[in-house]
Formats: sequence, structure tokens, C-alpha cells
Amino acid sequence: MTDRPNQIHEQKATEKRVSDSAAEVRLGLFSFAHMHAASYLHFLKPMAGVTLAGIYDDNSERGRRFAIQADIPYFEKPGSLLDEGVDGVVICSENASHAPLVQQAAGRVRAILCEKPIATTAADGLAMIERCRETGTKLQIAFPMRYSPPVIELKQRIDAGLLGEIYSVKCTNHGSMPGGWFADPELSGGGAVLDHTVHVIDLLRWLWDTEVEEIYAEVGHELLHPGLGIDDVGLLSFRLANGVFGTLDTSWSRPPSYPTWGDVKLDVLGEQGLISVDAFEQNLQVSSDEAGKTSWVNWGSNGDEGLVADFVAMIREDREPFISGEDGQAALEVALAAYESARRAEPVRLPL
Amino acid sequence: MRRVGIVGAGGISRTHADRWLQMPGVELAGFFDIAEDAAQRAVEAFGGRAYGTLNELFDAVDYVDVCTPGTAHAEPVIAALEAGLPTVCEKPLANSVDDCERMVDAAERTGTPLFVAMVVRFFPQFAKAKEVLDSGAIGAPGVIRTVRSGSYPDAGSAWRKGLAITSYYADFAQSGGVLLDLCIHDIDYQRWCFGEIERVFTRGMMFAGKEPVDHALLTLRFASGAVGHIEGSWAYPRGRFSQRIEIAGSGGVIEWDSRARAPVELALANGDGTLAASGSSPTAPQDDPYYAELAHFVSCVEAGEPFLVSPYDGLMAVKISRAAIESLETGKPVTIG
Repeated sequence: MTDRPNQIHEQKATEKRVSDSAAEVRLGLFSFAHMHAASYLHFLKPMAGVTLAGIYDDNSERGRRFAIQADIPYFEKPGSLLDEGVDGVVICSENASHAPLVQQAAGRVRAILCEKPIATTAADGLAMIERCRETGTKLQIAFPMRYSPPVIELKQRIDAGLLGEIYSVKCTNHGSMPGGWFADPELSGGGAVLDHTVHVIDLLRWLWDTEVEEIYAEVGHELLHPGLGIDDVGLLSFRLANGVFGTLDTSWSRPPSYPTWGDVKLDVLGEQGLISVDAFEQNLQVSSDEAGKTSWVNWGSNGDEGLVADFVAMIREDREPFISGEDGQAALEVALAAYESARRAEPVRLPL
Repeated sequence: MRRVGIVGAGGISRTHADRWLQMPGVELAGFFDIAEDAAQRAVEAFGGRAYGTLNELFDAVDYVDVCTPGTAHAEPVIAALEAGLPTVCEKPLANSVDDCERMVDAAERTGTPLFVAMVVRFFPQFAKAKEVLDSGAIGAPGVIRTVRSGSYPDAGSAWRKGLAITSYYADFAQSGGVLLDLCIHDIDYQRWCFGEIERVFTRGMMFAGKEPVDHALLTLRFASGAVGHIEGSWAYPRGRFSQRIEIAGSGGVIEWDSRARAPVELALANGDGTLAASGSSPTAPQDDPYYAELAHFVSCVEAGEPFLVSPYDGLMAVKISRAAIESLETGKPVTIG
């Protein structure tokens, strides 16, 4: 659990303490293609009652390297790791491989934590959800921002009615261009728009228990990274079913010289005022001759820790996921609708 | 000594009058306003005399500064140009594209200098950001985002209460709400930085029936392929005015936030044990943006040089603001004709 148990998870935190020693949870890690895998490993490795059964990675050099570092077994095939008997798997492959890996694991584990976006196509996402339902496998999507304390405070204040009627929400999820397979449409399914639409859209759906009703998008290809071969700029303009309108900037517009990787910011405006959240604003400023620049080093609570702890607790307590496959699917469809809007140069209504 | 006369004695004319009074080589001749008592009150505050008609004022001055509401710009501006008087016109150039076109025509026909007071181009941080962009320091332009958000401009200062201008802003059919009054600054600034704008899409509250509260979020597509985002608001809580610049290029980012730490910060203990905190960001008098834009007008006129803001720029800003309003009405992106 997070260091500061919040209202939403308070009860779970209490239960966890009681049941910590009760049940061991065995986990397998599928792929380190997505850099979040290293963070999940970092928090899972020392977690009480958690045993890491091993790492599968189709890139054996990468898989072996992390396995050696963590002192756990490496497996050449996902099936071999599943044969070891695991309660859950954490999938951090390239986006396009989420679907085949979920298909393979479903029915052989109790739960799957799948990195975002759920898939690269709506059909893949739906098939994954269906397969998990058929096999009684719990499917959780990795949206760690729901575990960010500044974001949780925003939700609590909105739920308390502090702003009165909500008018608008202006959001950014800027990032650095991640390179590698993220820029390969076959593996990623999309660039900045797919990469950075889903986090904030998931937060908005969660904040107000609502859906995106209509979206308009200006998408830029290679605007900031000539020759990249994929979209690197996205400006989304949306209306939610609860009447709130807003925008989201998904651009990979943070260059290597920038002090940090990016941001997640939400400005919520209502009749009683404004709440501005900058989820990664808890920083040290570090100037380093070695790095050749000044950086912001975050000291805030890490949402990844809350995410994986919640996943483990879900397995142990045999409850439904806090962030479901359907949540992942809804966020994916908004990103796909944004691309469709950009192609047609007109607003697109959801559901598609 | 050059003499300047101000047409319209409402809100912005007081700001201009104050700057004219500071300018060497320029004398403030006085005011004309259709409301005679308004002109008289302005004279009491700033000197000069109240003129009974536009022509009386024109006869007495070398320059004209039109500070009426945007619905009442065209007539005095065109008359001043036809009288051969170099003219400053407060933004927006006019509230309708038709009026703007007539004014641009008049400027071309008479060859008389017409300066549109798009003051944001003279804000030192905005001007410096454009200079850094143009230097190539951040590479090719990609994404530009600006914010201009505050509360509804009614009771910011006591003298404004009860002025006709206050109800004018609240009548969105007249004033155009934040899109025409406020976002026009950002539209002009972004067009100055990134070039021609191809289309605009708007979400906002102009037609939400909550006047005078208004709030808008715009997305722009430039002819270059670059994109822009604008937030303009009269819905922020009072005292929380906010401006931002963020320009991302292929090799870097420029950012400025009016809410970042100020160079002068006051932290004073109140008698009751609470804290009174405030900050300010002072600049030299010549760098005040209103002074700078009017001084620019004078120096260009005297040297026979073109202004930083052309009448066409003023027209385009209004055209795009109107397109933004149309986008809000139709729910569709609007291509700039």
C-alpha cells in the first residue's frame, strides 16, 4: 500500500495487514519491453508475502539481465513460467503483444496486471476482456495515476463538492519521446496520442464516473521529431457525458534537455473556483555537471507502488480489480477515436 | 510637440492616457466621448479638454487614439484616417469582420498609419519568447500553448463599477465574450509566432447562459502543420489571474508562468498573527507594455516605418476569433477563409 493510506484504500490497507502472512502470492513478470516493468519489480521484490516466480521476456538478453539483478529465474517461454504455478502475471510487453500474452495466461493464473494501453486495437481489447471473463481470470489495467496522492486529493475534494458545478478540465500529459518500439506503429499501435491519452482519460472517467461523449483532435506527425515515423503531438478536445468539457495535450514535447520526463496536470474549474493538480510537482532541483543540466528529481509517493500493492491485495482477497479491463478498453477507444477525429478533421462521438 | 486625442473615455482609455502623460514629446490634448460626462471625468483625472465633436478633436491633434468598445471602432477610426491623422485603435480592431475590412481598406486608401494595439506583443516576456523562438534555440515550432485567465472584468477597480463598459462585456452578443475580448490576444500572439492559422476548434461557455462567466479552450492548426492551444477565462476566482506561455520545438521548450516566484515577494505579519503575502514583478517604465506599444506607434509614425502589428494582423485576429465563436456555435472545426 501507499505510504499514506487514503480514504479509498483505507479499508483494504487494514485487511492487508491482517492477511499479510496468511497467503503467499506468486507472481510472474512477462516482458521488460515497457520501462514500467523495472519499477513494478522494484516494488514487488521486497513486498511481504510476494514471491516472484520468474521473468519471461522474448528478448532473452534483457530478460536475463533483470532476472540476474533480481536473483530470480528467467524463462525462454511464457508457458514455462506459467508451468511453475503462479497466481498472477504482470505484462509489460510491447503494446501489440498484450493480447497474445493475456490470451496465453488467462485460465492459468488468477489475475493479470496488464500495462496500458490494454491493446492496440479495440477488437484485441474486447477479446482479452472476453477471454478473461470466460476463464474467470481477473484483468487489471496499469493506470498508476489513480494511486497518486495529489490526484487522490483532487478526487476527494471534487467528491466533497468543493467546486460546486464543474465547468471544465484542462489537462496535460506531456512526455519525452520514448523511442524504440514506442515509435514503431506495428508494436505500439500509435505514438503520443495512444501513449498519453489513456492515463488522463482514465482519471477523468474515474473522477466523475462518466464517459467521454465526443472528441476532437489535432494530431501532429513528426512535428517535434523529424523522421520519427509516428505521431508525436496530440491536442484533444472533449466533452464528457456529465457536461464537463476540456482538453488534453498528449505531446511528447519534453526534449532531452528538459529537467524531467514530462507531467500529468489537471486544472479543474467550477463555479466556486479552480483546483490545479500537478501530480509530479514534488521535486528536488538537482544541478549536475555530469548530467550537463538541471533536473527535477521527484520525491513524491510513487503510484506504481500503490498499483502493484493493490494488485497483490486483490489476488489475496479474491476481489474484483479496482481498474478493470473495461476501464482500459474505454480509455483505448477514446485514443482510437482521437485518431479517427484527426483523420476526418471533425469531432467523433463515442462509443465508436 | 505632438498632440494626441483620445476617443472614448472608458476602461482602456485611462490606461492609455496615463502612458501618454509619461511620454516625452507628446501632449494629451483631451477626450471625446458620446457620453459628455465621461469625457469630463477623464479630463478631471488626466487633463486636456473635453471635445464636443469628433471633428473638433481631430482639428486639435496630430494623432488619434480610439479607445471605444469594439462595436464603435470603425466610424471614428475611418474618420480619423480620412482626416489624415495617424491612429491607434484599441483591440479588437472591430467586433465584426466587416468593420475590420472597412478599416483596413480605409488605411490602404488613405495611406494613413493605423496601429492596432495588440498589447501582448509588447509584454516583455511574450516579446522575449518570440525572440528566443526566432533565434532557433528550440528548433522548429511544434506546439504553442498560452493561458490568459482571470475573473470577469467588472469590479477590479472601484471606478469601473457602474460604467457602461461593464454591462457591455457581459453582453456576449456585443463583446464576443472571452473569445473576442481576451483570446484574441493569444490568437494574434500565436499567429505572430507560428504563422497563418488554418483552422480552429473551440469548446467554451459563451452560449452556456452563465454570463458574465465565460471560459474557452481552443485548439488551432497552423498552415505549417504545427498546433496551438489557448485557454481564456472570465471564470477564475478573483485574484487568481494567470498567464502562461509554453512553446515546444524540435529542439527545446520555452516556458513562462505568471504564477512562478516573483522577483519581489512580501511576507508581512498581520496584527492577528496571520500572514499577508504578495509579490510583484516590476519593470522599468519604458518596458511597461502599454507605454511600449504607444511609444512604438509614435516612433514608427515619425520614422515612416511599418508597425509591428499591421491592420491586416488586426483583421486576421478578429476573423479567427469569429471563427472560434462559429466553431462553438456549430460544434465543428472552422477553416479560416
